Amino acid sequence: MESLSDTFWDVVISGTGLQQSLLALALSRSNKKILHIDKNDYYGHHEAALSLQEAESWVAAVQAHAKPGYSHASVTKPEGTTGLSFPRAYSLALAPQFIHARSALLQQLVSSGAYRQVEFVAVGSFFIFKPPQDASQKPTLARIPSTREDVFATTDIPAKAKRGLMKFLKFVLDYENSPQTELWQPDANIPLTEFLSKQFKMDNQLQTYITTLSLSLDGKITTKDGLTVIHRHLTSMGMYGPGFAAIYPKWGGLSEIAQVSCRAGAVGGAVYMLGNGVKTVDDYTSPIELRLHSGDIIKTRAFVEESDSIGVIGRPETTRLVAIIGSDLKALFETTIEGAPVPAVAIVAFPAGSISTADGKASEYPVYLSVHSSDTGECPKGQCVCYLTTLTPQESGPQDHLLTQALDSFLLSVSDDQVPQCLYKLSYTRSGGSDGDGERLFTIHFSLKPVTLSFDDSALENVRKAWKIVMCDEIMRDEAVDKDYMKFTDRQNAAEDDET
Amino acid sequence: MAESGASHGIARTSRVRSEEQRQKDLERIQKYRTLEDQVRQRAADKQFDSETFQLTSKLLRLNPEYYTAWNVRRRCLISGLFSKLLPGSSCSKESSSTSPRDTTTACSEESSSASSIPTPGRPDCQTTGKSGTTADDDLELIKTELHFTIPLLLESPKCYWIWSYRLWVLNQAIERLERPVARRIWEEELGLAEKMLSKDHRNFHAWGYRRHVVAQLESDALGGGSMVEAEFAYTERMFRRDLSNFSAWHNRSRLIPRLLDERGATDAQRKAFLDKELNMIREALNVGPGDQSLWYYHQFLVLNLVTTAGKPTITPAFTLEERISYLTREIEEIKVLLEDYDEDVQLIYEALVDYTLYFSRLEERKPTEEEREDLVSWVAKLKELDPMRNGRWVDLERDQGLVELLPGH
Repeated sequence: MESLSDTFWDVVISGTGLQQSLLALALSRSNKKILHIDKNDYYGHHEAALSLQEAESWVAAVQAHAKPGYSHASVTKPEGTTGLSFPRAYSLALAPQFIHARSALLQQLVSSGAYRQVEFVAVGSFFIFKPPQDASQKPTLARIPSTREDVFATTDIPAKAKRGLMKFLKFVLDYENSPQTELWQPDANIPLTEFLSKQFKMDNQLQTYITTLSLSLDGKITTKDGLTVIHRHLTSMGMYGPGFAAIYPKWGGLSEIAQVSCRAGAVGGAVYMLGNGVKTVDDYTSPIELRLHSGDIIKTRAFVEESDSIGVIGRPETTRLVAIIGSDLKALFETTIEGAPVPAVAIVAFPAGSISTADGKASEYPVYLSVHSSDTGECPKGQCVCYLTTLTPQESGPQDHLLTQALDSFLLSVSDDQVPQCLYKLSYTRSGGSDGDGERLFTIHFSLKPVTLSFDDSALENVRKAWKIVMCDEIMRDEAVDKDYMKFTDRQNAAEDDET
Repeated sequence: MAESGASHGIARTSRVRSEEQRQKDLERIQKYRTLEDQVRQRAADKQFDSETFQLTSKLLRLNPEYYTAWNVRRRCLISGLFSKLLPGSSCSKESSSTSPRDTTTACSEESSSASSIPTPGRPDCQTTGKSGTTADDDLELIKTELHFTIPLLLESPKCYWIWSYRLWVLNQAIERLERPVARRIWEEELGLAEKMLSKDHRNFHAWGYRRHVVAQLESDALGGGSMVEAEFAYTERMFRRDLSNFSAWHNRSRLIPRLLDERGATDAQRKAFLDKELNMIREALNVGPGDQSLWYYHQFLVLNLVTTAGKPTITPAFTLEERISYLTREIEEIKVLLEDYDEDVQLIYEALVDYTLYFSRLEERKPTEEEREDLVSWVAKLKELDPMRNGRWVDLERDQGLVELLPGH
């Protein structure tokens, strides 16, 4: 059997994160010699899903500064709580992004056939957290309406505001065309909130609803970017069934997609190795020479680096809190219309200022909470996993306390006579992501993407660019090859039903 | 497979056929013709037995629109496959429920050659078919027949003959089976109607079918009581799913008179009911002023105030003052919509015109000066928004004597 060094590889891919894995999927029918390695002993890298045991090793590695891009990691198990199941019963996602129905990622999963191996659950309602009016009352959650039927049903918005909201929804659905473009393009780069106030006379409450639908982490998303996300949300609504606009891969979010993609790569002949990374790179020669941690010296035509850069200066970090809750929080996952599937993900937004830190300071940025029921496969029945995310203001440092505060307030808002208990907490800070996807000749670099709540399709363009580099010979010979990107016909035995 | 003529929205493509394809088609046509001839011959010879029955299965799968074949099938069932009904003995089969079931090879789940092979007769059975089938066999037969229609319906969901046959089979259930058994079958049918509606919740055929099934379930023949409350709640679930659902709103309006009667609603309760419905439809119009289905329902409610003679109304006890006050309020509320909606307004103006004219009806008079000025401006708007129907608006001006108020007169 040939050793790794004997083979002249067409491409060595370092890291099994989502982008690298999608590249492996894209190349899985190409007959290229592919070596796909990951220095971790698990798949997924930045998009991995961790069991409790893996989470603890991961935290230890972060604390030992062995995970660039991550810091301030810790695990807490609150005293006196019971009910935490065995470690493998949990799959905590490092990248719990949901995917809008319209996303190009889903189209690629379908055309490549990989979707058959992924199970999806529906993302249901979006809520706004409302602090209590006075100390004697509980905080509440208000559902954000995003369809006409939602707006009809809500009792939270007065009639006139409803009319304004309907006009805005109608505007966004057609925002790419005239005369709508004349209205917003001059204001493309001002904050969406200003645009809403100026052109639609929206009050604060409605502005908050809309910015939440835009999933803006700093609350200051521009008109152009905001309209893009909201348009995607609205046009995704109902695409795969009534009552939902986005879906989420079971068993750990994007990690599932990475794993399925690697599996496809392996079936296509790629060689996989975990626990082995690239130590040194010499890409000033051709072929590129790599030295692995195992000692092997590899020659390859192209090399895809792992995405490990420290963040860009000035781009805020995000703090995340992953909490396991000992209750199924059923009320959050109710279907509101006939025929809709039971959702397994609910989103709660805490607008800036709606919660305060321990020293009384009001939150500067919104906090987003994604609640996952056991239907996501991430925890046992009767429990939930909560993922809280917020930007870290530069001067303040990690926002663990704020996120804990948000979690506690949330649990209070959904409590009846008992407040649901938190059984486990994992918190960490992640850099704001790096810039500069790029290539030096045949060395391809995927940047670390900033944290977002929904999957951002722009990551896919870089995967395609990388694919073109690896396939450059074939494309030069026959341009038609490019059109078949991620379009595969079934292998002989893939005759399963087409139901997702 | 024969091309069904009853599917909407599926384009017929003309195929360019290869010689091989053409040969295959000729063979298929030959097979079909042979099958058809067999069935017709046997029917002409009055051979309504299980072999004919199986032939109709094949024929109908190729061409479900061949209604004669459905009739032949019915006759096979009545002539021997079903147990014989004693005169006046429907729904009274006490003994059959005690006789042990004979194993038959007939009760296959596959719809293909579904026929119940008659079992050896049991002389002590009260009802026996030609070859001794019992009521339990009838149940199985009915179930298999219903099952047989399903793939045909999936392929040709609007083929009247399939639906007609299905209804006939369901009626056989009423005639031949014990009441609770028959009822269960019809309840399952309601489930099917609901599935159809959830696939296409604006399919008015499905709504009509649902009404029929509900009517049967409510009838004495199935020992039923009124389902009006459940049906009323169902219409609400449907329009909450999609406001723009003519059938749901229409069904709702049809249920109201009976609903209020059965509730034994007092005048106060009727007023409260009307208030609630008006509030709800106004909320709907507030988010969907361009939606005609909503205006139809609103008009239905408003006409309740205006029409007095003969028809059952929601609030028969309203005085003239009350009616005028309600009508005035509705018009005011509609005007508020114009504050924000500068598009989608045609139906708003139409409603304003219609409802203003209702005053005249109520008070048996002609429109006042003020009303006429309003009407002129609204009709002018309508001419602007809907120039294609200019003739209609011009007629309206003339009929209401508005011409003299137009500029230039």
